[in-house]
Amino acid sequence: MTYWSKKRAGGAAACVFAMLAGTISVASAQEARTHTPVTQDMLNKAESDGNNFLHTNANYNQTRYFPNQQINKDNVKNLRPAWIFQTDVVETMETTPIVVNGVMYVTTAFDHVYALDARTGEQIWQYKHPMGQITTFCCGPNNRGVAVFGDKVYLGTLDGQLVALNAQNGSVAWKKDVADPALGYSETMAPTAVDGKILIGTNGGEYGIRGFVKAYDAEKGDLLWTFNTIPEKTVGVWATHDATGRDLHRDIKAEKAALAKSGDPYKTLGGGVWQNPAVDLDTRRIYFVVGNPSPDLDGSLRPGDNLYTDSLVSVDLDTGKYVCHFQYIPHDVWDLDSVSPPIITQVKTDTGETVKGILHGGKTGHVYVNKADDCSLIRFSEAMVPQENMWTLPTAKGARMLPGANGGVEWSPMAIDADHSLAYAINLNQPMTYQVESTPYPEGKLWLGGAFKVIPTEEQWGNVTAVDYNTGKIRWQAKTEQPMIGGVLATAGGLVFTGEGNGLFKAYNAENGDVLWSFRAGAGVNAPPASYTVDGEQYIVVAAGGNTQLDYKRGNAIVAFKLAQ
Amino acid sequence: MRAVYLGSMPVFVAVLALSVGHPTNAQQATVTSPPPEIADKVQLCASCHGADGKPVVEKVPIIFGQHMFYLLTELKDYRAGRRANEIMAPIAAQLSDDEMKALATYFAAQPWPNYSEVSSPEDNARAQSLAVEGQCTQCHLGGMLGDSRNPRLNHQKVDYLTQTMTDFRGGVRKNAAAMAAIVKDWSDADIAAMSHYLAGL
Repeated sequence: MTYWSKKRAGGAAACVFAMLAGTISVASAQEARTHTPVTQDMLNKAESDGNNFLHTNANYNQTRYFPNQQINKDNVKNLRPAWIFQTDVVETMETTPIVVNGVMYVTTAFDHVYALDARTGEQIWQYKHPMGQITTFCCGPNNRGVAVFGDKVYLGTLDGQLVALNAQNGSVAWKKDVADPALGYSETMAPTAVDGKILIGTNGGEYGIRGFVKAYDAEKGDLLWTFNTIPEKTVGVWATHDATGRDLHRDIKAEKAALAKSGDPYKTLGGGVWQNPAVDLDTRRIYFVVGNPSPDLDGSLRPGDNLYTDSLVSVDLDTGKYVCHFQYIPHDVWDLDSVSPPIITQVKTDTGETVKGILHGGKTGHVYVNKADDCSLIRFSEAMVPQENMWTLPTAKGARMLPGANGGVEWSPMAIDADHSLAYAINLNQPMTYQVESTPYPEGKLWLGGAFKVIPTEEQWGNVTAVDYNTGKIRWQAKTEQPMIGGVLATAGGLVFTGEGNGLFKAYNAENGDVLWSFRAGAGVNAPPASYTVDGEQYIVVAAGGNTQLDYKRGNAIVAFKLAQ
Repeated sequence: MRAVYLGSMPVFVAVLALSVGHPTNAQQATVTSPPPEIADKVQLCASCHGADGKPVVEKVPIIFGQHMFYLLTELKDYRAGRRANEIMAPIAAQLSDDEMKALATYFAAQPWPNYSEVSSPEDNARAQSLAVEGQCTQCHLGGMLGDSRNPRLNHQKVDYLTQTMTDFRGGVRKNAAAMAAIVKDWSDADIAAMSHYLAGL
């Protein structure tokens, strides 16, 4: 997962802030709510819960589809800011607000957590993580939010910790060192809470880590199991083509010679897990995607397929044991890896059979559709962005290939509408050159094996794309003036919400991509939106804090919207 | 739009520094005395880096207020020969791990000195284009303030910046491979523009 753009956001919304001042002062007089313990039953039923937003990606299937239709295609034009909360940290925001019976939990860059009254934006408490002096992270000091379970709120931190907070007041219940930040490990993902376990992966594919997913006991923080995303034998089958059947131009003979000389590279092969797993409680399996191999651009030091980098992986929820995997790009030397969280939904095979499927939006610009039972590929979608010169190998001078190393679909979660078998993805078009330069493992320092360089003279843009995952065909696309990063929310109101680096937050008609509403937030809206309902009123909420990775204008706002009275 | 945005960068940087509250960014206004066990070492450092944080020798960087882990890493690299410098290498060779950590912690806690260069609009435009290509803020963050592993470049000494980028380009400095790859094709004029831009942010 990596790298960025040339365009910067602009604009301001001073008038909106002034307009809202009265609203905020009135609301602050109301009584703040207190935390409701989150039961497993609540988490299980999140998909049909029109009041709460309990998971980073809405529910265990990670559909990011909110079932309330109070805000819909007909009335979204009346959507107005209800409140704006400004955090203490003016830096990149990737948080998904979590809402439990009227209490909202949000995070900021550098790992602050706030509990807010979801009706008013009034602060209930703040936790400011005492950051260690050693942090090693790629792509910004990000945090993507918390998990909630019982009476606790769970946070991963840039200095490699998992922290459990008491939800009533933000005090620390326990904290654990997940992995050593001096070696390149860091936490930016929101954890996942399920059946008394807290699941968390790791960043570090740019630093020569050995990736993992770990499960901790939710109550006490004891480590329950670890799944290494990099097994001790990473060679695989010497695959010569990617999942779409295109030649990867590997020099298998040279790789085999390198393997004989230096052995399996598993100890420093990367394979971070940036985003939440999808959880299938019927089969008690989890599904996650694994990021790029280290070093990103230099394949000479890591012969073989580099399992399980650039892969969909399923493991047993209770034991962490391997179940199945599917590698989208064996021996990736472009960092076009797998980051956007997978989605579980029913899909049709090419013979018309309906099976449980896994969707993943790739940095290649394809939506991949796999079978849940054995991870095998059913189909891949049409490319959502231009693809040129694939798979041209990186060179010492730099070789141009599209997509650039940010994708396609970056970490941004997709949403789906299962009734229409549509997946909504946001994409970047950011032309880059891929330059290789071999250097040895640098003991925890940045280890790209070269450089990704944006081509400043080429136009950059983005799009919102609806893909029919039962056919692989693109249903509609809406172009945006900047590459897109952040995430998508779909609702039963026939709407798709997503934000842009220029500060615009938009509602699209889910059927055809028409823009039905927009709001200029004054800083980049580059975080996944959420929705919730309190006192009978549905809200849409999103962070506007810009983005380090694409250098979009920074801010510090959480903005909640509801229909005008 | 970009010119307007970057024109306001000093304000943005000031807000960021105050509001983010990096643990490794110096927040205090005055220089403090070092712990006794490293006092003589600090005195030696001051002979080049300056007693008040303003370097008194050419091409020597500001280290007051620099990030602790970056300073520690560089000292270790000097000692191990991963970063070559005829003055720093023998000094680092005499330091223990504990002394290095104490020195890095002390200097990181000192206030960044008041230092700035004037950069021309032409330099700024060239530097901004290079920063896009090299994706500099991904590691050095907004305002080029750095964090932990990645040094603050904002208002660093212009001659040091020029020397460092030249060393990366020429393969003289080898302890940050990604930087070498980024500046590989930069001209002298590119490096000069970037140095002035960073020193004048």
